[in-house]
Amino acid sequence: MNSASQPSGLKLLAGVHLRQHWRRLKGVMSQSRLLSATILFFLMGYCWLSFAIFHRAMRFIGSFPGLGDLLIERMLFLLFAFLFALLLISNLVITYSNLFRNRETNFLHSLPMHPNTIFQWKFLESTVVASWAFIFLIAPMLAAYGLVEKVDWTFYPMTCLLILQFVILPGFAGAWAAIALARYMDRRAFQYTLLAIGLVTLAALAFWLKAEQVTDDMLETRVMLVLDRLLRNTQFSQFAFLPSYWLATAVISWSEGASSATLFFILVLLSYGLFLGGVTMTFPGSPFYEAASAVQSRGSGMGWPGLRFRRHRRSHSNDFGSGGWLHALLSLPWWIPLESRAVLIKDIRVFWRDTSQWGQSLLLFGLLAAYIINLKNFSAQLNNPFWIHLIAYLNLGACSLNLATLTTRFVFPQFSLEGKRLWIVGMAPIGLNKVIQIKYTLATLISLLVTGSLIVLSCYMLRMPWTQALYFTFVILVMSLTLNGLAMGLGVIYPNFKEDNPSKIVSGFGGTFCLVLSFLYIVGTILILAVGSPWAQQARPLTTGIAWVLFGMLSLGIGYLPYRLGVRRLKYLEI
Amino acid sequence: MIELRGLVKTFGDLRAVDGIDLTIGQGEFFAVLGPNAAGKTTTIKMMVGLIKPTEGSAVVAGYDIQQSPLDARKRLAYVPDFPFLYDKLTPLEFMQFTGQLFNIDPDKVRHQGAELARRFHLDAFLNKSIEGLSHGTRQRVAIASALLHDPEVFVIDEPMVGLDPQHARIVKDILKERSGQGMTVFLSTHQLSVAEELADRIGIIHQGRLVAVGTARELRDQSGRDEALESSFLRLTTESTESSEPEPTQPA
Repeated sequence: MNSASQPSGLKLLAGVHLRQHWRRLKGVMSQSRLLSATILFFLMGYCWLSFAIFHRAMRFIGSFPGLGDLLIERMLFLLFAFLFALLLISNLVITYSNLFRNRETNFLHSLPMHPNTIFQWKFLESTVVASWAFIFLIAPMLAAYGLVEKVDWTFYPMTCLLILQFVILPGFAGAWAAIALARYMDRRAFQYTLLAIGLVTLAALAFWLKAEQVTDDMLETRVMLVLDRLLRNTQFSQFAFLPSYWLATAVISWSEGASSATLFFILVLLSYGLFLGGVTMTFPGSPFYEAASAVQSRGSGMGWPGLRFRRHRRSHSNDFGSGGWLHALLSLPWWIPLESRAVLIKDIRVFWRDTSQWGQSLLLFGLLAAYIINLKNFSAQLNNPFWIHLIAYLNLGACSLNLATLTTRFVFPQFSLEGKRLWIVGMAPIGLNKVIQIKYTLATLISLLVTGSLIVLSCYMLRMPWTQALYFTFVILVMSLTLNGLAMGLGVIYPNFKEDNPSKIVSGFGGTFCLVLSFLYIVGTILILAVGSPWAQQARPLTTGIAWVLFGMLSLGIGYLPYRLGVRRLKYLEI
Repeated sequence: MIELRGLVKTFGDLRAVDGIDLTIGQGEFFAVLGPNAAGKTTTIKMMVGLIKPTEGSAVVAGYDIQQSPLDARKRLAYVPDFPFLYDKLTPLEFMQFTGQLFNIDPDKVRHQGAELARRFHLDAFLNKSIEGLSHGTRQRVAIASALLHDPEVFVIDEPMVGLDPQHARIVKDILKERSGQGMTVFLSTHQLSVAEELADRIGIIHQGRLVAVGTARELRDQSGRDEALESSFLRLTTESTESSEPEPTQPA
């Protein structure tokens, strides 16, 4: 054995992972330069668009006489507070999976590597994965803020330093929470708890931040009162013990030239970072090993009593003739052939039993529904048809963007996941084409049910006439068909049969391509339809007609074409 | 080299491993047989320290795996049925990584690695990405990497899965050879022929208990009948099944 000149375990792991990531990146680049350029262009476009929106919004808010700066500041406090909460959740979920549901972690546990080292590496990895989106999200906003406030160049490196100090704190909290949860809860109980916490938080926020009914009279005479209520309701974001408060105050102080205040909050963030970092990097070895052992030791027989009962009941239902309520329900449409029904039931059961799948969708669409329901409080002020239609189109955009994340995340990997089971599904006399068709129909119906309901609700809240509601519902129908067709088609064209994890399948070449195309399709559709809107001030039937022809062609090109190509590929598929 | 003392593991109400006592000497080749969900993998996981026993202890190469895990693991190698490998590395890089983890002299890694690659027929694959290798080749990479640090105790779960007859022969020969040189081998398998061919002693685990231990001949003789190992195995593992509880569910 050689005791000297050997790199530490942490360095070794970092080296191996950097090498892996670099090769993965090179693999993506070598697959298609055009696609790499498209993704790069897409990312730059996002940064630019996001910066432009924030800049415009801040300039608009800043122009309120006497109140502009106050409102911008409060916006920063609020945004950082929400992002802090999101960072906590994402750190918890990612660290939990990375520490306790990861094959590499098990492998490392069998090597002569101290649990502390394994934990340290997994912690760093999880924090980076959980935080990059946050940095990506706030960078354009801080750049816009700097420009509006006309700060000097030192503002930008200073905010980078502050953000690095900030993101590590939810990382520590998420890691300790993950260890505690793993020690005392099984995975299903954890998922349900997380979901319950998410829903309660959502409900509490919807109640607390509920938009108030503001009458025209109040707007004209009691603006200060309304503003006062707004500031009071958002006061929680300035709770002095929130790390987001320290970050926001430091950023604002530096932009105002109050360097001593900034220095104070840098030291606050640093002291917490050092203290929690010291604790987290020194002591977790033993609790981490205990928790990992508990997770490994947990069979499906453990967990909460109610869940255990359900499993017990399921495992003891040995009657092959009874298919349960779902079977009975899907037997009602008698025209669906038995084999198609079997695939449908299997897909619904698999989706339902994977909490993480529908949990994420529920949160996404829950947030959107909360926003749309709150629209009724504004609709009284929306007398101008221009604003009503603008909001209706924006809602359409928000709904379809959510839909695109849903189709890319869940529909795209469907075929790849099925590939592992082709020994049964692919060999059955139903044929792969039919399987793909059933999956496509099911995905479209479910997504249409959710997005269609939201669009109808949005039109109702905006008090739009039924003809307009019908128009938007038809648009979302076409968009659902298109986005599902795109995801299903590209899923067949770019399958990954090696992966079991849907999120890893999505993160590959095809998944990224699907997301980029979905986004471009949505932006294109909204722009075309808004320009050719029949309710625009200078609307002409010809413009509307051209817009609809373009919309139809775009939908066929983006949705139908990849689907057909996917189906054709199935004929020559070799697995 | 391996001492299991009153090893118990419970999952809720279920006793997946129910008081296993076993001593395996240095250089001994021990094979464990048992039906699905008998408790073999759980026993192995406790032995290598992946999970904590509810009761009892596992001592590997003179070190209690719970009390001195790092000392034990330095002398231990474990290859699960589906070993984890870094997909984007090459077998050469993976073996270098393993060598560094076990703090082996780089010269030794070079010589030992080349020798193992030659023995396991990995030369042609050393610089290819692991993600493109077949299951059998990946299995050979994992076994070769695990042998790199000359472990005193080698624990392997279902080593023949995915191996063609030629490479299965190579793996068997190398393990037997190392065992002859003093390495203790603990092998879990469903293939009775493998156990019969390689093992000095065979243990049969059923419903979490070690129901029989001995050489293949001793196991056959225990029944007092002139029967094959398969018949002994089937008799031992079905005798108490009728009175047993439902099949235990173990974590994957």
